[in-house]
Amino acid sequence: MSAPTHAKGLRITLRVWRQSGPSASGAFETHALESVSPDMSFLEMLDVLNESLVGTGKSPISFDHDCREGICGACSLVIDGHAHGPDAETTTCQLHMRHYRDGATITVEPFRANAFPVVRDLVVDRSAFDRIIAAGGFISVNTGSAPEANSLPVGKPLADEAMDNAACIGCGACVAACPNASAMLFVAAKISHLKLLPQGAPERESRALAMVEAMDKEGFGNCTNHYECGAACPKGIPVSSIARMNREFLRASLKSSPPRGAAPEGA
Amino acid sequence: MMAWLQKLFGSSIGKKLWMALTGLLLLGFLVVHLAENLLLFSDRDGAAFDGYVHTLTSFAWIPLAELVLAGLFLAHIVQAIRVSLQNRAARSTPYALNPGHGGRTLASKSMLVTGSIVLLFLILHLAQFRFGDAAARERMAALVRGEFEKPLVLAAYLLGLMALAIHLSHGIQSALQTLGLSHPRYTPLLQKLSVLIAVLLALGFASMPVYFFASGASR
Repeated sequence: MSAPTHAKGLRITLRVWRQSGPSASGAFETHALESVSPDMSFLEMLDVLNESLVGTGKSPISFDHDCREGICGACSLVIDGHAHGPDAETTTCQLHMRHYRDGATITVEPFRANAFPVVRDLVVDRSAFDRIIAAGGFISVNTGSAPEANSLPVGKPLADEAMDNAACIGCGACVAACPNASAMLFVAAKISHLKLLPQGAPERESRALAMVEAMDKEGFGNCTNHYECGAACPKGIPVSSIARMNREFLRASLKSSPPRGAAPEGA
Repeated sequence: MMAWLQKLFGSSIGKKLWMALTGLLLLGFLVVHLAENLLLFSDRDGAAFDGYVHTLTSFAWIPLAELVLAGLFLAHIVQAIRVSLQNRAARSTPYALNPGHGGRTLASKSMLVTGSIVLLFLILHLAQFRFGDAAARERMAALVRGEFEKPLVLAAYLLGLMALAIHLSHGIQSALQTLGLSHPRYTPLLQKLSVLIAVLLALGFASMPVYFFASGASR
């Protein structure tokens, strides 16, 4: 009986983007890894590589990570051209090395969008998303602790749809995957999630206008309906949410009135 | 009012609304244009078509309609170029590997290319039948048949119409999504209908050059 292929682990050739700072020009660096355990996650594989880099006095590869269980949205990476790697609806931290064959060459790049500037190596600055949220991705009135469930009934189908959108972890894979580096799926998920629930519905118009305006200020591209975002989203947010955002934005634009106290146009 | 319109159509969603609305209006023109052109098949000497062309061009409002139509084309094209440039500028460093995630299609990727081919085709088409020899335009059916007997014209028309079909197969369903029409129940059907409409329109238009080329060759 032949030994299992992974007995000694995988041999992996890693091509990693290295960039010393935001304004530095980056380049790919190649590392040969011997005996990578197939049980490692992708990030653990990078941890092991970093340990050996530090051991030989080299600077470790910078990458974002936090919870490592697929719920925080901190990890990123474009692996062989796929945001969060080749597995559908999986974040990079939940991607395991058993998906790769022995001898594989893997190319790792940062999320690329001018609105997500590279900080260092594979780390990008995604604070543009924070500014979009700050523009309206919230409910203004603090209503205290969770209300008694039956006092504000929310139908099951509606709750499901809101939850599908609330699943957005704000990782930015939609921007990374979009040929235009557009952030529409992210903003659509936030607008949908809040608009669908009774607590968020009263501010639906001002929220739609403010969040779209904030998104446009950040230098993301425009949506041309390629639907790469939905295909890349680790949480499976549907592109129908973008259609809902389009409706919400149009509705809000048609209903919005000039600011109070402003001089009437043409006066 | 103007400031409001500027804000609406200057936003990222407004830009695609603009593309969707102008695109759907142009699609409406194509449907009418196909219907009137199919008059070419109604008789052998082209009297029905010539009569229609004569009646249509005698209306006083036709130059205005032509201007509006030209404006629609321009509005669609200029915005497409602007948006494409902005989108390209949103990612200065391209990916080393970019196999796609399974969302984009040949049609969605090539909108600028297919649109440009359609524009070149449109210029040829206008040069032939709108700005050509005035005396020849008096007998439009004969002019059309004569032009379509040329192999190069046939090839240009087939290429232009193929580009149109690919352009519309993404464009129609994309416009519906932009206008907010999306639902798990009917979106798959709408996407198939978009492709069907695009192919049927292109086949309808192609029937004329193909038929008159074939009947010219068999004479």
